[in-house]
Amino acid sequence: MRRYLAAYRVCLRIAVRQATTYRASFVLSSLIALAANLAFPLVTVLIYGSGAGFPGWTADEVLLIQAVFTLSTGLSGMVLGAVVWVTTLRVREGTLEVVLLKPLRPLPFIVLTTVQPESAGVGLGGAVLMGWAASRSVHGLTAAGVLAFLGLFVAGLCVMAGVALIMAATSFRWVGNARLPEIADSVHAFGRHPLRVFPGAVQGAVTFVVPVAMVGFYPASALLGREAAGMWPAAAMCVAFLAGGVWLYHRQIRNYQGVGG
Amino acid sequence: MEPVIEVEGLSKSYVTYRRGKGLLRRERVTVTAVDDVSLTIGAGEICGMLGPNGAGKSTTIKMLCGALLPSAGTVRVLGYEPFRDRRRYVQEIGAVFGQKSQLVWDIAPIDSFAMNKAIYAVPDAQYRETLDELVTLLDVADKIQVPTRVLSLGERMKCEFIMAMLHRPKVVFLDEPTIGLDVIAKAAIRDFVRGMQARGTTFVLTTHDLEDVERLAEHVVIIGGGTKVFDGTLHDLRRSLGETRIVELTLARPAGGADLAGLGAAGLAVVGRRSELEVTIEADLRSLNPAELLATLSQRLEITDISIRELPMERVITEIYATNGR
Amino acid sequence: MARQGMRGWTRGWAVLRAVSVVTYKEWAAYRTHSLVSAFVGPVYFVVQYFIWTAVYADAGTLHGLELTQMIRYFGAATLIGYLTMDFADWNLSMLVRTGRYLTFALRPVHHRSFAFAQKVGHRTLGFAFEFVPCLAIFVLLFRVDMRPAAIGWLVVTLALAFLMGFLVRYCLGLTSFWLVEAGGLQGVFALLSGLFSGALIPLVFFPHWLQVAQFFLPFQYMVYVPAMVFTGTYSLGSIAMSVPQVVGCQAGAVVVMYALSEVLYRAAMRRFTDAGS
Repeated sequence: MRRYLAAYRVCLRIAVRQATTYRASFVLSSLIALAANLAFPLVTVLIYGSGAGFPGWTADEVLLIQAVFTLSTGLSGMVLGAVVWVTTLRVREGTLEVVLLKPLRPLPFIVLTTVQPESAGVGLGGAVLMGWAASRSVHGLTAAGVLAFLGLFVAGLCVMAGVALIMAATSFRWVGNARLPEIADSVHAFGRHPLRVFPGAVQGAVTFVVPVAMVGFYPASALLGREAAGMWPAAAMCVAFLAGGVWLYHRQIRNYQGVGG
Repeated sequence: MEPVIEVEGLSKSYVTYRRGKGLLRRERVTVTAVDDVSLTIGAGEICGMLGPNGAGKSTTIKMLCGALLPSAGTVRVLGYEPFRDRRRYVQEIGAVFGQKSQLVWDIAPIDSFAMNKAIYAVPDAQYRETLDELVTLLDVADKIQVPTRVLSLGERMKCEFIMAMLHRPKVVFLDEPTIGLDVIAKAAIRDFVRGMQARGTTFVLTTHDLEDVERLAEHVVIIGGGTKVFDGTLHDLRRSLGETRIVELTLARPAGGADLAGLGAAGLAVVGRRSELEVTIEADLRSLNPAELLATLSQRLEITDISIRELPMERVITEIYATNGR
Repeated sequence: MARQGMRGWTRGWAVLRAVSVVTYKEWAAYRTHSLVSAFVGPVYFVVQYFIWTAVYADAGTLHGLELTQMIRYFGAATLIGYLTMDFADWNLSMLVRTGRYLTFALRPVHHRSFAFAQKVGHRTLGFAFEFVPCLAIFVLLFRVDMRPAAIGWLVVTLALAFLMGFLVRYCLGLTSFWLVEAGGLQGVFALLSGLFSGALIPLVFFPHWLQVAQFFLPFQYMVYVPAMVFTGTYSLGSIAMSVPQVVGCQAGAVVVMYALSEVLYRAAMRRFTDAGS
């Protein structure tokens, strides 16, 4: 464990140093990443601005869902954002040996050594938006509500990590497919809207099968005091989902063959 | 020999900016990469262009190719003014850059060839004939059907040559064509270049591999510090440092300091001692003819073996850079 | 002169064909990767479908658009993306950064023609492995009415959107001749085009001044205009135009972009060959 932390500290220092060396481009890419993530809250604003909206939800409440989603994207991106493309790249180039030759377990090694500081901007932006939206939409915050939020938010992070690992594991089979992250992004889209807009079967699927609703919708609901049925069993599912992702990743590493020639 | 490349007073200078004092102040600096170079290359020649990194070689080549506008001077190749007549001119030339591939990575070379066939508008019959000929010469018939990415570096380089020569260019520019290749691949590429020269193609070659020059070029141009420091035949180049020879001696018993000092007095320089019994000497035959040389040596040393050879190319080049370059 | 022109055309056609075929083959190795689109496109579409169905629960029209038109709009926008997607900017930047652009300077072809032929080849693949599967899912599985209002105008507007996307990206790529790191500019552009092309939301939802600004920016001509032509009506910034009028506008924008690309290309070549100033 100490060895992993030491490796992480070194990698973090390198990442920060790189970011400060190219600070103009770092700031720019952080801003671009943030702005791209704020496109969806923008759509919400435009929809409500046109006088329409999601039945039963105020604009601020929907924005809160999307702010929580953005915060989760930022936090998980900082730690796990690079796992998919690093695995994809290494499998494609046949350089995963570099990782496999290290006296550390491959998955934690890749996770710890691929820091993505740009995501910090996304997380920060999400936090600011969350504070703003919460101040306008959350009335009578209770300690229980905050605790429920934190628990569900962590469960949501598990889902983000699980999806990333499933995509990374897929890259062992679907070699060189740089478009795998798009699949993850598209599935996430179900998590940043009020769940009720989707039909029952879809609600069930994004709560219990691929529980992306946990990324934005459920934690925000807890903050708003809108307890939703099935929220806690779903949270347990999220942890299982992450475990499944880890298991799949390790299983697929066995399929790694390197590049011949 | 009819000249195909005529260069007269060719110069190229760039303006760059150096960060000056303060945040926004910057200093204008003019850098002269090529300075007043003139040369003539005849039809069917292989001209080797040598020079250390940053000497102005590639700038010169780029101007000869029409990819860079000269600041001063004239270039005429095959009757064209390369930069002005670029579109028509490049139809007549070919280029292989060791580190800039024209082949498309993920598909078979044969498909990349078809692309250049269209770009250069090569007629079908001529394309088939040229392709057959080049493929046979380079012995890559079974390689051109598989994706470029699975080829070895040597095979890929052979295919780069085919790619560059399908439109039967009269002049071909080669920039580091053997870089990174193994001995066998290098030999194959050199054989090919000589074969094409025999069919009348003119080659201009820049390289760091002196063996390329020794094996291929009879005409050598050396660029140092942006100016031409040598222009002549390989033979001239070797002679340009006088009639210096390397003499390697094996002795019967170790030579003392006094013996060796005596050699120095006679105009012979000791340049190396591999062991007590092995001594390397440089001798200038203009001051000491072969008979005198042997006499001087045997007078002072007890010799069991002797070999006399010309200066190696590296030495010649290093000397020329040192005396003329920067 | 006429003969020469004729020869130029046949040669141009030969280059277009050869380069696009090569590009098609080059990318065909990754054709299964394109099938990601057959998953991602429909997933986003489904999300849009439910969102807008919910939003329209209490409203008949929003900004003059009915729900069915909205659904058709998003279907069209997704498919237009697959038909016109472009990365000429990235390609050209890579050539400039690695110095491989030189091999194009030494071939008798305008690099823009070469890049355009590459796009044709790449999108032919996109047509087969992204557009067709997606369209099939929309029509057969989701039962969306994907019949265009006027097929002739649709073809024209799509061709123009294809060109527009290419020219804009090519111009962006040309900036690499000046900028060491063109990635930032390309990122900003990708962001703006994501917001203002119309792929995110129909542009009529934006504030009025932003809608008016779109007439002078390249973005709407890439997705919004062809998607609206598909649905049969067009309006932006309170200006309603007939289909022929807006396609005319789009053609004008393409001509302007072409001229800009030529100016930039010449300046870039002056810089590359160091013949400028």
